[in-house]
Amino acid sequence: MAKTQIIPPDSYPQMAGKSDAAKMSRALRSQEAIQRGAHVIEEASHALREGVRDHVRALETAIGDHQLTSEKAHEILGFAATAGLAATGRIADGLCRYFDEMEKLATAPDMEVIALHVSAIARAAYAEDEAIRMGDMVAKELAVLVHHKLAETKAGVEEALTLQGRKRRSQFTPP
Amino acid sequence: MPGTGLETLKVLIVEDNQHMRMLLRSLLGSAGLHDVQEAGDGSAALNVLATRRCDLILCDLAMKPMNGLELTREVRKSKKSANPFVPIIMISGYTEKHRVEAARDAGVTEFLAKPITAQSLYSRIAEIMERPRAFIRCDSYFGPDRRRKAIDNHYTGPWRRQDDMQDLEVR
Repeated sequence: MAKTQIIPPDSYPQMAGKSDAAKMSRALRSQEAIQRGAHVIEEASHALREGVRDHVRALETAIGDHQLTSEKAHEILGFAATAGLAATGRIADGLCRYFDEMEKLATAPDMEVIALHVSAIARAAYAEDEAIRMGDMVAKELAVLVHHKLAETKAGVEEALTLQGRKRRSQFTPP
Repeated sequence: MPGTGLETLKVLIVEDNQHMRMLLRSLLGSAGLHDVQEAGDGSAALNVLATRRCDLILCDLAMKPMNGLELTREVRKSKKSANPFVPIIMISGYTEKHRVEAARDAGVTEFLAKPITAQSLYSRIAEIMERPRAFIRCDSYFGPDRRRKAIDNHYTGPWRRQDDMQDLEVR
């Protein structure tokens, strides 16, 4: 086995020298920079919303292909809130969590749960004014649905594991 | 922000979503980082890196054909890599623990969860400048020290275990 080598920061090229780096990081952490950045996001929000809606259209056509639906949901989660579509982002987050949990449980996701989320994401992404009020409510309701569905799936998986264990024990013959 | 030195830094944005690329470029520009190149996936990024110096990479995780993890491994481990120490900030909507760990194990410097804010992006860049991390080279890994927090918060010495002395070398 080769030796583990530690290469200290002084021994490899840095983005900037120490004093320059301190000046740069102060500038990046300044309130002025942060406010300017927030303004940039605000200015870009209209174009970003169009981008979110492009992904929503792709999400709607992806239903049935779980891998693609999950990818599109993650894309939407990635910048819906930055685009000012907070409710869209929250519902997409719920769908992403559902996909991730089902992947961990190695179980196929429920089409009904996916369809409900996709339709809610589309409604929230297009109805800008109502989206904030309605979207929050829908996001909460869908979160409850996901919670129930996951509990149901986990219980099913646990039951299957218990049955497997019992079967193995019953087949076991002591030496 | 002229005069801060940020304008001298060369940044590469690797992101398949053109809206995110545009947003990241605008955010960097607003802070004074104007020398920015873009690539739509990992392999396009490698082409850029072959011809251009780069001080910082902002990289998405899920891209095709080459994703952010593969790009990070190439940058860190390939013999062709111009700068295997370049800081890499991975920006992703995939935030589950196993994905963050995979990014860390590939050798990313920082992980930033989408949706991003100006403050979260700027603070990650500032963090890299304020507290550059040691790099670790061993059989299975090359990249920033993954034990940063444990070392920073609780431990001041160079060794973590008594037997570290046997197979550890500080360059």
